Amino acid sequence: MRKIALGFAVAAALLFGFTPALHAQDTYKIGAAFALSGSIAVYGEGFKKCIDLAVEEINARGGVKGKKIEIVYEDNKSNAKDCVTAVRKLITVDKVPVIFGPAGSSNFMATAPVAQESKVVLLSAQGAAVGLTKAGDYIFRVFPSDALQGPHLAKLAMNRGFKKVPVMYINNDWGLGLKNAFVDAYKKMGGTVTDIIAYDEKKTDYRTELLRAGKGNPPAIVNLTYINEGAVQFKQAFEMGIKTQWLCGSAARAPKMVELAGKAAEGVMGTYPSVPQNTKTFQAFKEAYKKKYGDDKIPIFGDYNYDMVYVTARAIERGGYSAEGIRKALPAAAKGYRGVTGDKTFDEERSPKFAEYAIWTVKDGKIVDYKLPEKAQEKKKPAKK
Amino acid sequence: MDLTYYFQTLLNGILAGCVYALFAMGLTLIYGVLNFVNFAHGELIMWGAYFLLLLMGEPFGLSLPAAIPPALALTGGLGLAMDTVVFRPIRRANRLTLLIAAMGLSVLLRNAAQFFWGAEVRTYGLEIMPGTPFFGVYLTMPQFAIVIVTVLCVAGVYLLFFKSRLGKSMRALSDNLDLARISGIDTKRAILAAWVISAVLAAIGGILLALDTNLSPEMGIINLIKAFAATLIGGVGNLWGALLGGLLIGLAENIGVLFISPGYKDAIAFVIMVLILLARPYVIAGERSD
Repeated sequence: MRKIALGFAVAAALLFGFTPALHAQDTYKIGAAFALSGSIAVYGEGFKKCIDLAVEEINARGGVKGKKIEIVYEDNKSNAKDCVTAVRKLITVDKVPVIFGPAGSSNFMATAPVAQESKVVLLSAQGAAVGLTKAGDYIFRVFPSDALQGPHLAKLAMNRGFKKVPVMYINNDWGLGLKNAFVDAYKKMGGTVTDIIAYDEKKTDYRTELLRAGKGNPPAIVNLTYINEGAVQFKQAFEMGIKTQWLCGSAARAPKMVELAGKAAEGVMGTYPSVPQNTKTFQAFKEAYKKKYGDDKIPIFGDYNYDMVYVTARAIERGGYSAEGIRKALPAAAKGYRGVTGDKTFDEERSPKFAEYAIWTVKDGKIVDYKLPEKAQEKKKPAKK
Repeated sequence: MDLTYYFQTLLNGILAGCVYALFAMGLTLIYGVLNFVNFAHGELIMWGAYFLLLLMGEPFGLSLPAAIPPALALTGGLGLAMDTVVFRPIRRANRLTLLIAAMGLSVLLRNAAQFFWGAEVRTYGLEIMPGTPFFGVYLTMPQFAIVIVTVLCVAGVYLLFFKSRLGKSMRALSDNLDLARISGIDTKRAILAAWVISAVLAAIGGILLALDTNLSPEMGIINLIKAFAATLIGGVGNLWGALLGGLLIGLAENIGVLFISPGYKDAIAFVIMVLILLARPYVIAGERSD
């Protein structure tokens, strides 16, 4: 019995006793639970490159309050379980006050409650799901929520002259969130939603759902769908002779969707968050990236990751190197800050308040940008800049 | 609302029902002969479709008509292998053991397909054709094939089951395994035949489904539960019942979508299934052997 108690004491001493001595450190550590192996490792590699670039720049200018920033990378193995393990390790072993969270909304949302309970700041640079930050006030993101995409999709529908549409959506957090955002905005603009059709993921037969959406031959149908589901639906609609303008969100915008649906995908249209590449900050970022890595192929979401580092560094500068300080300072640090991906001001849900959206369409089997006619283009721009 | 709208819904229901019926017939056949629910039947459906993909791709490069017979043969072989490796050693184990073995096998086969082909959705890469309108109702070639092939399969299974010696021995087995054996029936042969027929029916259904829609490692498991509901409705072990049950579920869920949110489409089949289970619980518990 005594031995066991002694063992516990030693273990406790090892766990808690020795670590405070390390607090007198000479760098500001930031955790990053990234996909460095597994199915989406190819993305994780790209994020890391852009984060390293930002850290290098900040440190070259003297760091934050005279201290250098150091990123502690932890592999999340591209799955939700190991994402949680990675975040726990960063919190308990490395004791970082702020963590860059995993990619993929579901992976991120698995780790958010852990960070919230431990009172550690967690940021996302890729998550679009509407409820991504709902776990609590320690959870932030620099990638725009789909709550912003809804109004843009509504504007697209109105500008194309579609005043009455049925709405189909995939029955999950993402689909429901975007559906609500779209319907609210569309109604405010004077549009009429004729029918709302929820459907399940991963089905192979959507004919009757499509039949119901196509009732009365509507000139346009809004379909908030994924890659696979969208491909099945466009194909089946094509076979059923439903001729309509499909209006989608960003999640269906993938070459894989076009590959699966073939010519049935032709003309499908949708919105997606875009980063204007002609700005000075973006060009400077591109130059710096090219200088460091030798090519100018910016990895997907790399620009958002780059901005995330700067926003976090500004928050440490203002609030000090503690989770509480960073959490409190983040909104002020980001307010009005113009990063590579635009204005990073947070809204009350700790998501970007502003975002620019562009329109994609399928033309000749390829996904291309679509330009609205001149007059409509004017209206498309976000009111506040 | 014009009439063609309802006709199209009816047709969608019949198409879904035909596919469910093909799955249900194979499921009910194994249940009838071996008295357990083969939860790995969904994987025979999926592997059937993937065998065709394998034969149509590199390095075989067969055309669709040429690739179908070997794909069916391979799936039949997979059915035999399932029996030999997993189910024969535990033939006389209780139902729970068989059920769990089948579930484990299902996961194994599904993950194997995922390992070889990945989790992404695939197609056979055939050109998409718009449907041909018949009196305002659209029907594509694969859909036409679904109806024709289902009718042929039902007729074929009927002839085999009720007009041949093999069918007779399978029915005898279904009634009483020991008695059949004592009477000098080659039970081994009858059981193997049941596995092959069940697997080939699954492959036919899977290929038709994949031609009409897509391939994914989960295509089997998603449809299996519907097929299971169909066998329950029709009375387990009853071939005609499987056909009727499949059509009933296909029609019920498609017609239901017109009146309630399609988000509850699956619920319709499950509600029917739960009601049947409440009315006839012995189907799973195995307290009665009819």
